[in-house]
Amino acid sequence: MALCMVTYDSGGSAAPDIPAPGFLARTIFNTSHKVIGLRYLWLALGSVLIGMFLSLLMRVHLVWPGVQIPSLSGFGGTPERYAALTMLHGSLMVFLVLTTAPQAGFGNYFLPLQIGAREMAFRVMNLFSFWATVVSLAGMTAAFFVRPDAGITLWTASVALFCLAALLTALNFTVTTLDLRAKGMTLPRMPLTVWAWFINAILSLLIFSILLAACVFLLSDRLLASQFFSPLTFLSQQPASLAQSTLLSLWQRLFWFFAQAEVYVAMLPCFGIVSHLLSTFSREPVWAERAAVLALCGVGLFGFFVWGQHMFSSGLNPWSPLVFSLLASSLGLPACVLLLSWFGTLWDAKIQLNTSMLFALGFVSLFLAGGVSGIFLARNDLAAASVSDDFVTGHFHLVMGVAATFAILAALFFWFPKMFGRRLNEPLGKLHFWLTFAGVYCVFMPMHWLGLAAHLRPASSGPTAIDTLGTSLASTVGQSFDGSLRTLVTVATILTVAAQGLFLSNFVWSLWRGEKTEERNPWRATTLEWTVPSPAPIGNFGASEPMVYRGAYEFGAQGVPEDFAAQNVAPAPSEPPLRTKQPASAGAKEN
Amino acid sequence: MPGATIVEDIELIIEDIGGGWGKLPPAGGDDDGDSGKRRRPQLPSSRRYATAIVIAIVSIVMFFMAMASAYLYLRANSNRWVPLHLPWIIWVNTAILLLSSGAMELARRRLAQADVRQFRKFWFVATSLGVLFLAGQLVAWRQFVLAGFYVATNQASSFFYIFTGLHGLHLLGGICALLYVSFRKFEKAKVSRSIAAEVASYYWHFMDGLWIFLLALLYLGK
Repeated sequence: MALCMVTYDSGGSAAPDIPAPGFLARTIFNTSHKVIGLRYLWLALGSVLIGMFLSLLMRVHLVWPGVQIPSLSGFGGTPERYAALTMLHGSLMVFLVLTTAPQAGFGNYFLPLQIGAREMAFRVMNLFSFWATVVSLAGMTAAFFVRPDAGITLWTASVALFCLAALLTALNFTVTTLDLRAKGMTLPRMPLTVWAWFINAILSLLIFSILLAACVFLLSDRLLASQFFSPLTFLSQQPASLAQSTLLSLWQRLFWFFAQAEVYVAMLPCFGIVSHLLSTFSREPVWAERAAVLALCGVGLFGFFVWGQHMFSSGLNPWSPLVFSLLASSLGLPACVLLLSWFGTLWDAKIQLNTSMLFALGFVSLFLAGGVSGIFLARNDLAAASVSDDFVTGHFHLVMGVAATFAILAALFFWFPKMFGRRLNEPLGKLHFWLTFAGVYCVFMPMHWLGLAAHLRPASSGPTAIDTLGTSLASTVGQSFDGSLRTLVTVATILTVAAQGLFLSNFVWSLWRGEKTEERNPWRATTLEWTVPSPAPIGNFGASEPMVYRGAYEFGAQGVPEDFAAQNVAPAPSEPPLRTKQPASAGAKEN
Repeated sequence: MPGATIVEDIELIIEDIGGGWGKLPPAGGDDDGDSGKRRRPQLPSSRRYATAIVIAIVSIVMFFMAMASAYLYLRANSNRWVPLHLPWIIWVNTAILLLSSGAMELARRRLAQADVRQFRKFWFVATSLGVLFLAGQLVAWRQFVLAGFYVATNQASSFFYIFTGLHGLHLLGGICALLYVSFRKFEKAKVSRSIAAEVASYYWHFMDGLWIFLLALLYLGK
C-alpha cells in the first residue's frame, strides 16, 4: 500500500544508469535496502497491533473472567488457550516488533545511507532474510490456531526460521558496516545509530545461534524422539527436585542465554537512536561521545553474560547467583554512562520539543524508571523477595517493551520525511505522546506495587529487605487493594490502546495528506541521509561518491553559516577546531 | 590475499580508534580523508566475501558451542547417560576429510602460481574427498543402527546423530561452494576465482577443525 508512495527521485543528479525493473523485481524480489527496511517496518506495525489486541484480551480476562467477547468464544477458554495467547503476544512483540523494527527496519533503511553506501553488502541475502521473517510470522500466528501439540512444533520451527533470518541480517549489517563505508567515514565519525546497529548485529550473531541450537534440539525431540530434553513421561516418574535441577534446566540455560541478551538486542538500537535524536534536537554535540560508544559496547558485552540472573531459583551452583548478581549489577555502569551522556547533551541546550524529541525524552524517563526496578531483580536476595509475575511483567514491559516502542516512535517521527517525503502531524503526535506517556505509567507502575504486595501478604519465614521496606504498607494491603489495582491497570490498558488510534490515523493521513517536505534536511541534521533528496533515490547518492569530512554531531561549529555542519561539508581552511561537548574534567585538561 | 586484507582492516580499526577521533581530513580532492594513512581499497566488493565468511564462522562456532555445552552438561548431570562407542569408520572418514583439506591447499598453491589446470585437478580431488566423507558418515550411521543405536535410544546416541548430521549439513554447503568454484565462469563473475577459492577454503578448513572438535567431544566425553 504505502510502498507505492516511495517514489525515487533522482534529485537532479546523474544517478547510475539502472534499467527499469519488472513487476516481480519491484515487488516480491525487490532487493533495495530501503524497500526491505520499509517492509520490515510494516511487518512490525501489523505485529504490534495484533500484540496490543492480545494484551487487551489478557487484561480483560484477568479482571473480568466471565466476559464473553463476541466472535472469540469459539477459541475456547481453557488454560492452554490462555497460555497460547500469552505466547503469541510475547512472540509477536519480542521477535517481530522489538527485534525487527529498530534493527532490521530502520537499520536496513538508514545504515547504508548513514555510512555513505549505496546498498547493503548482500542484497539477495537481505531479501531472503525478510521473506524468512514473513514466513516465521505466519508460522507463529498459525500455531495459535492448530491443536496444541502441532502448534508447539510449528511455533518452534517458526522461531528457528526467525533465528536464521536474524543471523543473516546480522551478518549483512556487520559486513556492510565494516566494508562499505564511504571515504572518510572512519569509525569515530560513525553516527551513534550506526554504532548501535553494528554492536547489536555482533550480539545478534552470537545469541541467535544459541536459540537456533535450542530450537534444533527441541524439534529433534519432538519429531525424531531424541533425548535432549527428557520426555514428559520420564520426568513424571522422577522426584521433583531431580526434574528441576538437571533436566529441565538445560532448556532454561539455553533459553536464558539467548533471552536475557535479547533484551539488549532490542534496546541497543534504541540507545543509538535516542542519543542521535537528543543531540540533533538539542543542537548540541553528544556529550562524551567516546564514552557513549564504549557504553554501547559495554551493554553488548555485559548483556551477553547475565543469563544466570533468571535462574536464581533453579538449582545453580551456590556461587553462581553471586557472580550473576555482580554481572547484572555491572550493567548499571554503561547504563549510567549513557544516562549521563544524555543529560549532559541536554544540559543548557536549546531544546526543540517536537514530537520526536518528546518520545526520545519519554524513552529516557521510562528507561530510568524501569532501570531502578531492575536493581531489585539483579540482586539475588531482593529478587527472591520481590519477584512475582506482576513485578517482573511491570519491570520488563516498562524498560524493554514500552521504552523501546517510544524510541521506535521517536525514530519514525524523525525519519518519516526522509522515507515518505511528508511530515507526520505534530499536534496530533504530541497529543498521542502525552496520552501514551501517562497511560503506560498507569499500566505498569501499579504492576510493580502488585508484585511487591504479593510478597507482603503471606507470613515470611525471616526478615528480608522488602519486609523492612514495606511493613507499614503490608497492613493496608488486602484483596480489595489488589482488585482495585488490577482494574486500574486494565482500564489504563484499554485507554492506552485506544490512544494508539490517534497515532494510526496520524500515520495513515500523513502518508497521503501530510505536509510535503520539499527540502532535503528539514531537521537541520548532520548525517549523510539528510544530504540526499526525500525519499532517497535509487543508489542513494547519485553519480558521485559521498565523502565524509566530519564527525556526526558537529552542532554549533564556528565558521559555518548555520548552527550545524553536515558530515559531507569540507571544512574551510580558516575554520577553527571543532567544538566538542566533553566532561568538564577533560575540557579542563585540554585547556 | 584476503587474510592479509583482514589483518589490514584490523590495523585500520585500531588506527581509527587510536587517533582518528574527531580529526578533520583535508578539504576537497580525492584524498580518502585520513591524510593518506588509510589504505582502503577502492572497491570493497571482493573484500566483503572474506569478511562475511569469517563472521559466519564465528556464528557457526556459537551454534556448535551451544550444542557442545548441552552435551557436557547432560553428561555431567544426567543419571541416564550411557557411554558411546564410535563406529570404526569414523576414523577413516576423519582421515579422508584431512586429506581433502590437504588437496585444497595444494590447489590454492597452484592457483597462486597461475596454474589453473593443476588447480582444477586438485580442487576436484578435494571436492571428491568431501563427498566421500559424507558417504562415509552415512555408512557410520548404518553401522550405528546395526549396533542397535538409534536417535531415540539414549542421550549419547542422540548427540551422535545430531552432531554428525548438522556437521554433514554444513559440509554439504561447503561442497556446493567447492562446486561453484569448479564450474563458475569467472570471466563473467563479479568475484575473482582466487577470492572465491580463498573464501571457500576458509570454510572448508573450518569444517575440518569443527569435525575434529566434535569427534574429540564424542570420543573423550564418552
